[in-house]
Amino acid sequence: MSKAAPLHQKFWTPNAWLLVFFMASAAVFAYFRFVYGFGSVTNLNPSYPMGIWIAFDVACGVALAAGGFTTCLVVEIFGRHKYHSLLRPALLTAFIGYMLVAMAVMFDLGRWYYIWHTLIYWNGNSVLFEVAWCVMLYLNVLAIENLPNVIEQYKGKVNLPGPLSAFNKTSEGFLSRSEKILRRVGVFFVIAGVVLSFGHQSSLGTMMLIAPNKLHELWMTAWSPLLFLLSAMSVGLPMVIFEGTLASYFFGRKSELPLLADLARIIPLFLGTFLLLRFADLIYRGALTEALAGGRQGNAFLVEMALFVVPFVLLFVRKVRENGTGLFLCALSIIGGVVAYRFNVFLIGMDMGGGWNYFPSVGEFAITFGFLAFGVFLYKLAVNYLPILEDH
Amino acid sequence: MAMDRRKFFKVAAAGCGTACALASPTFAADSARRIGADGYGMLQDSVRCIGCKACQSACKQINKLPPDSSLEGDYYDSPRDLSDSTYTLIKMHQGESGEATFVKKQCMHCIDPACQSACLVGALVKQENGAVEWDGNKCMGCRYCMVACPYNVPQFQWKEAIPAISKCTLCADTRLNKELPTGCTTSCPAGAISFGKRDDLLKVARERIAASPELYLDHIYGEKEIGGTNVIYLTKKKVAFATLGLPDLGFKAPPRLTESIQHGVFKYFIPPVAIYAALGGIMAFTNRKNKAEEKGGPDE
Repeated sequence: MSKAAPLHQKFWTPNAWLLVFFMASAAVFAYFRFVYGFGSVTNLNPSYPMGIWIAFDVACGVALAAGGFTTCLVVEIFGRHKYHSLLRPALLTAFIGYMLVAMAVMFDLGRWYYIWHTLIYWNGNSVLFEVAWCVMLYLNVLAIENLPNVIEQYKGKVNLPGPLSAFNKTSEGFLSRSEKILRRVGVFFVIAGVVLSFGHQSSLGTMMLIAPNKLHELWMTAWSPLLFLLSAMSVGLPMVIFEGTLASYFFGRKSELPLLADLARIIPLFLGTFLLLRFADLIYRGALTEALAGGRQGNAFLVEMALFVVPFVLLFVRKVRENGTGLFLCALSIIGGVVAYRFNVFLIGMDMGGGWNYFPSVGEFAITFGFLAFGVFLYKLAVNYLPILEDH
Repeated sequence: MAMDRRKFFKVAAAGCGTACALASPTFAADSARRIGADGYGMLQDSVRCIGCKACQSACKQINKLPPDSSLEGDYYDSPRDLSDSTYTLIKMHQGESGEATFVKKQCMHCIDPACQSACLVGALVKQENGAVEWDGNKCMGCRYCMVACPYNVPQFQWKEAIPAISKCTLCADTRLNKELPTGCTTSCPAGAISFGKRDDLLKVARERIAASPELYLDHIYGEKEIGGTNVIYLTKKKVAFATLGLPDLGFKAPPRLTESIQHGVFKYFIPPVAIYAALGGIMAFTNRKNKAEEKGGPDE
């Protein structure tokens, strides 16, 4: 088996500076948001108190970071070790994704300095309580799951600069000790990560059920938590394909296409289960007629479904799977479908009343793009200096 | 070490079956919350209300709130909705005949409040005295309560660096604690707002309907709606509650659905533990199978 290794390419490319530009512009808007309040940056209003930072940064962020636990499920738990080379990048992006989610929550909380209240003030009846705790615990699990990469890179090579070199021995001891402990208990965290993901991916689907009179009946169903979980599992492997393809392209590496095409055969299993339950629920509740009723919600539903159904059908075709562009577009479509699904439940499908409307402001977009750029920046940094990607 | 792991999986797999068997009766219905149902509340009578807005002024005075205006649309309805500086508001509804009907908007002080269920740190709590109170020492400002409230009552201070959630307090800490009725009640010149224990208010409401059935619609809004509210409403015979911004939301409190899902999924922590054990079992099985194949395979 080939081993993962740091890329050690030139880091400050023009692309890296582009990412810095997005982060810097986000920082400008962040200054106004934290010093002068939400009103100075966002278009949020009394009827739409949650906007794109929740619908995209948090809801989509968590769903799109599902690559981590679905790959874990396939490789570690169902023992498909031929996909092992995809596990490290998937766990890395999941870790970065959840870190961004946590940061986005800090930006969205009016009283962000009280975020630690989650730890001491408990309301077990709250859906958000479950989401917060699972995300918090899972972020720690992901950190632990990524630790072996750091250990592998620096074990036996710790050489801190200047006066810090006094800590060389201590750090070395810490690394070898963690390695020993991790080898023993690693499997515990692998399963814990999957269970925690089941928990909060589904609970995100319960969140808007607290407002049954606001959520449109196309999405207002008690099965929403299971549908959220299944859609997250459906988008996990497409995210791995999406990131893998882009990484090969931007870092000028050999394409992983044969492996990714092989992996793509699993996607219809998850996606099919999701679509089956989605339509069964709609038909059982008699809500499917709403889909063709037009209007904002009806059309949004059609877009969402098209983004799911088209790649579901195409992925059965071998020629599409084994074509780099075809596979990439299928993955992209499923990602778009999950993004549409989350937006539909958190914003578009919510009729909040009160005569208010909401469309994100430039500042809200800028901060969201800033987070995305930061995520890509961290990924670039990690694959450059840590053993994440494997050569085939 | 390999032995340890195998043993762990064996135990886990055995535990899985037991846990699954125990986990089946998960969807036992939680009984609805009734705290504060016998506490204080208000009866708003749209037959009596003359729309003078004295209650609005009184509320501003007691809560030390700045003036608020939004001059778009009908001038009478300014401001057009509740805000962080307007806890109560008189809204006007004009029927086909041109007759005006007024309705007072403020927190309904639900018996089983969606905001209380939604708040992850428990900053919104229904009190014994009937008020739904907000605790600024707990709130993180996530605004999930605003999404949850069926009447869009909780408001957020959009212009503050350190914002608070603001809404009608039922004068709990300004007047109730001094055994005084709410400020809006005292200020009303038309007797359209009555203050008292919820049970007594329901009696008063029924008496009014019985005394003038030609004036009143035979329905007390908030008696049963969304599990009951401590602020209840009467309306004119020909003016439906829905046209006054009091929609038909059914009798079930919104938290009953989310909490039954939530508590079903986490009943005694059995389902997550069962899933954990099941996944562990699968992992042990596939690991053993893979190892057997490797040994028998041509590669090694």
